[in-house]
Amino acid sequence: MRPVLPSRVSHYLLLLAGLTLGCLSIAGEPGPVIPKGKGDQCAAETDYMRRNHMDLIVHQRDDTVIRGIRDEPFSLVECVDCHVQRDAENKHIRVDEEGQFCAGCHSFVAAKIDCFSCHAAVPDTNQEESVDGNHWIPNKRLMALSSRFSAPLKRALGHDQNEPRTAKPD
Amino acid sequence: MIKMNLEPPNPTNSLAARRRFLQRLGLLSVAVAAPALLPALSGATITPVKGASNKHRWGLLIDTSKCVSGCDACVRGCHEEHGINGTGNDHTDAQWIRKIDLQDDLTAKQSSLPMMCQHCDSAPCVDVCPTGASFKRADGVVLVNKHTCIGCRYCVMACPYKARSFIHEPVSNQKSWAPRGQGTVESCTLCVHRIDAEGEQQPACAVACTDEAHSAILFGDLSDPQSDIAKAMNKRHAQEVRSDLELNTGVRYLNL
Repeated sequence: MRPVLPSRVSHYLLLLAGLTLGCLSIAGEPGPVIPKGKGDQCAAETDYMRRNHMDLIVHQRDDTVIRGIRDEPFSLVECVDCHVQRDAENKHIRVDEEGQFCAGCHSFVAAKIDCFSCHAAVPDTNQEESVDGNHWIPNKRLMALSSRFSAPLKRALGHDQNEPRTAKPD
Repeated sequence: MIKMNLEPPNPTNSLAARRRFLQRLGLLSVAVAAPALLPALSGATITPVKGASNKHRWGLLIDTSKCVSGCDACVRGCHEEHGINGTGNDHTDAQWIRKIDLQDDLTAKQSSLPMMCQHCDSAPCVDVCPTGASFKRADGVVLVNKHTCIGCRYCVMACPYKARSFIHEPVSNQKSWAPRGQGTVESCTLCVHRIDAEGEQQPACAVACTDEAHSAILFGDLSDPQSDIAKAMNKRHAQEVRSDLELNTGVRYLNL
């Protein structure tokens, strides 16, 4: 008995159906919700940071520990300072707690980080900062470097200057 | 079947091809080298080397005649600075500095001194570390890179001064400038975070000792002949503990 459709065509149809279903399921999946950091933007453009933050941090780590260079912008301390959130009692919440800046994304992609088993996950309380957490004193060096980084990147990628910083799955 | 070119190569064609290839190679090398050479040719300033430099060698000079038996201000200052809190188990708690009381058997002369990492020039802990986590910075400060420390404790065994501690229990409430964690080895860092910040260079132990009006700990650059520490060491005989080991320590003692 002859099949209704040639086997090759039916295979293609099956593949197409599978892909469509797959795409629909991905589109329906909610991405991680990441709290907004302080200031207008990160040390570099958001998309660049999303893809390369781990390399930047590791590079900075070796520079700091081995070579004693501490004033560069991509330090873990700077990450925590900008991205830490406060609870209802105005206390800092650890960045590695569920739903916070680091854990929000990393638990979504099931990538375990152990940075905060040694590093402080909240800023030092004796640092200069306002009680309400909205008033932020920008680091001038950092801002100069960030604009040097982000301006050409934005031009090259044709990104809108006012791109929202809430994370969406890439 | 593979078709083979059995004709002999044309010498004129091969020469032309070779010339073209060499021309392209030349152009390519110029294109690659130009961006690297341009800043040098345009007279752009080269930024000075930042961070730890071998122009310095940081060290301590401890006057044991000024150190008071029973006083542990330096230990407390150090622990506060680095967020070292007791776990309730004295046998395993981290100990970056410990106070030692000595007595000469013959003369019965008593002295007290703080013992910490001696920041050796040829450090045994660096020699034995299997991962390179124990290392000496360019400015002579001996540190543990906890990112690569596997907690094997060879360095703890190798150190003649018992200056290193293994962290047995989870650590919390760390300071942002002093990351500490379970499963790694740690010791006196000579307060590198203060050294690197410049301006406020005195380590926490020296500050605590001065605050207690003892001023037994002097910190400074051993390789700068004009520094207070170098002058003080020239004036009087500054001893190394276990000088027989010839480790050329960065921490020296007076009136030992």
